[in-house]
Amino acid sequence: MKRALSMLSGPLGAILLVVVLMSLAMVVAGTSPIDGFSALFLGALGGRNELGETLVATTSLLFPALGITLAFRAGLFNIGAEGQLLMGGLFAGAAGAAIALPPAIEITLLLLLGAVGGGIWGGIAGWMKARFGASEIIATLMLNFVAAFLALDLVSGPLKGPVASGAETAWLAPQYWLPTLLPHTRLSIGLVIALAIAVVLQFVFTRTVFGYDLRAAGEAPEAARRSGIDLRRLTWLSLALSGAIAGVGGAVIVTGELHRFNTQLSPGYGFTAIAVALVGDLNPLWVCVAAFGFGILEAGGLAMQASAQVPKDAIHLIEGLIILVLAARRYVAARTEVA
Amino acid sequence: MQGSAQPVLLLRGIRKTYPGVVAVDDVDLELFPGEIHALVGENGAGKSTLASIAFGEVRPDRGTVEARGAVGLVHQHFELAGRLRVWENVLLGREPRRGWRIDAAAAHAHVVALAERNGLAIDPDAFVDELPVGIQQRVELLRELDREPAILLLDEPTAALAPAEIASFFATITALAERGTAIMIVTHKLAEVMAYAHRVSVMRHGAIVERTLAAQTSGEQLARAMVGGDLPPVAARAATTHAPCLRVADLYGGDDERAVRGLTFEVRAGEIVGIAGVEGNGQSALADALAGVIPYRGTVERPPHARIGIIPQDRLAEALVPNWSIVENAMLGRQHRARSRRGMLVDRVHAREDARQIVERYDVRTPSLDATVKHLSGGNQQKVVVGRALIDAPSLIVAYNPTRGIDVGASALVQSRLMQARNEGAAVLLISFELDEILSLADRILVMYRGAIVGTFERDAVERAQIGRLMAGIA
Repeated sequence: MKRALSMLSGPLGAILLVVVLMSLAMVVAGTSPIDGFSALFLGALGGRNELGETLVATTSLLFPALGITLAFRAGLFNIGAEGQLLMGGLFAGAAGAAIALPPAIEITLLLLLGAVGGGIWGGIAGWMKARFGASEIIATLMLNFVAAFLALDLVSGPLKGPVASGAETAWLAPQYWLPTLLPHTRLSIGLVIALAIAVVLQFVFTRTVFGYDLRAAGEAPEAARRSGIDLRRLTWLSLALSGAIAGVGGAVIVTGELHRFNTQLSPGYGFTAIAVALVGDLNPLWVCVAAFGFGILEAGGLAMQASAQVPKDAIHLIEGLIILVLAARRYVAARTEVA
Repeated sequence: MQGSAQPVLLLRGIRKTYPGVVAVDDVDLELFPGEIHALVGENGAGKSTLASIAFGEVRPDRGTVEARGAVGLVHQHFELAGRLRVWENVLLGREPRRGWRIDAAAAHAHVVALAERNGLAIDPDAFVDELPVGIQQRVELLRELDREPAILLLDEPTAALAPAEIASFFATITALAERGTAIMIVTHKLAEVMAYAHRVSVMRHGAIVERTLAAQTSGEQLARAMVGGDLPPVAARAATTHAPCLRVADLYGGDDERAVRGLTFEVRAGEIVGIAGVEGNGQSALADALAGVIPYRGTVERPPHARIGIIPQDRLAEALVPNWSIVENAMLGRQHRARSRRGMLVDRVHAREDARQIVERYDVRTPSLDATVKHLSGGNQQKVVVGRALIDAPSLIVAYNPTRGIDVGASALVQSRLMQARNEGAAVLLISFELDEILSLADRILVMYRGAIVGTFERDAVERAQIGRLMAGIA
């Protein structure tokens, strides 16, 4: 029993357990697990186009996951990446439709505006916590709704594209689209930007004084405070930076994938990204790997639905299972350390 | 008293290893009803691990544990639910019920009777996190006593207690032993061992190196057995010149009961000023105000650009990041200084060098500089904290219970380093609940009672009895 538990607490055990649980879910849905898994993997990795879609999902998850990683490492539970992603996309989409600059400058500007939009959204929550002691969990969560309705209002009215039929901005001119990374797919160089941010983040955590302060505040706030770290400043700054990273993600979706802004920008990337960050153990480099894993599920899930008749919702079930297994893993690890 | 009696606790061939350390190495131990058995040794000698094994909370790699009757363990670090009341904590998990509800009245009465029976005065309705440490320990003790254990293990029970509390604590323990409970005290306070224990076992590096009757040994002999040789002598007091360094005037701050109310004093370069007092008389507020972590009114003057070394009272909560390595912890509080950074980057070369220097100068026992500090023993953690506070040759040092909960060898080292810093011209403010520590180190002693200074003694005119009365507020 004890040996079985310690096996389970390893990453291999966790993957095995998830596979078993997924198989059960498939059987319940009336499909053979072999058919289900082959559909999933063929759909996610079976060709250039499939790989492209998987990496598009990876990119969209990676930005908010990295933002969440930064906040969590500072001890701040940012549940608002969804709203920050949306605000980043809104800023980029609104400016992209209205401004005409040389393409390289404009694209850079749009990505930066994405950071500003997300950064403001994260920063508001940070300011509320630093100034009034408001819980950042509640503040970031609630700001998701504010972002969603604000964005919907704006693109239904003042920011609505002149010829748009639904609630969305005007399309970006093709020269302002983010360059494609993998020809003949929808994958843009946004993936490269996300990976670069991951590397920078890892560097900041391990090598800079700011990263040291941030980790100290997250690990041991009282010792951090006594060491001369200004916790209030660190709180709003961390949440603003966290939001900014998610916001760039929104801008990447707008400039690289949708080429306009609408409120269907994210099917909940900001929430799935919480799991991505945790599966990646809040280590930016592992978070990249975790985002790829979740990208496979997201993209492969659609294919599985089409060819193996497993509903796409089963994928969300699996994502939930992964979070459960992960929590159990930590619990088991904590228990074995004591015993 | 043991003689022909059967042991109630029998440990045979116990061995326990943790990654990189043999914590307990082939130990046999027996405990008889009615005895007070002291298990002494330096921090990291394996005493606490052995106690946890006897309690059944840690499983040994090898060996057997036989207990006749219930075993109770009072932890060194209390395991209480702070937001619950005293009676709720004492009866946690065994609350008397009326139907599906807790019978609060019966529980209340039960705890009052239990406290009275054991001579432990306590307010059963107080919230645990609002109580001073000494009283919190009483709650832990009551919780264990309620299970009527045949064997009671106490891990460093007096580490947080004031002198008067220690005496009443041992009165309780002695009475318990007389009623037949087998008691084992894990400690490194040899004076208490000599005064209250019947038998003594000395542990070093995981093994029991000496077993003796308390009546047949001396504190000195035990200390030598603990450290495996002679104790390092405390550094001698050298003549110094006294320029003013820290001036505090009309200082007010902190929360009601434990606030400071109009403190005025001065600490000059090259002297140690000791603040004597029973815990809860404003010491924490004073230390926090000087550390700049609570708001205060009044004057605190220090020379401009003075480097300050602070040794906080609670090393795990206030001074260290437990999950970090020694190297990372060696920088904490110094990370913004020029030495620790190259522009925005951490200066990793200096960080390592400083950590190595602390480990060497303070004899920190660790497998490596990259060891996580939570895996070090309390004494070694404290050495890291003290070493870090003194490494930049501060001109002002604020030390709050710098030897709390650490063994004789580590204490002597810490006290020596404070004395050396003073000899080299630092102004040292020593706040301590251990009067002996203050008497041996301080050049000047201020007695603090209810947030004010009620007496001042120069080193050559100390009246111990008078200080004791002032501390208790009866002079």
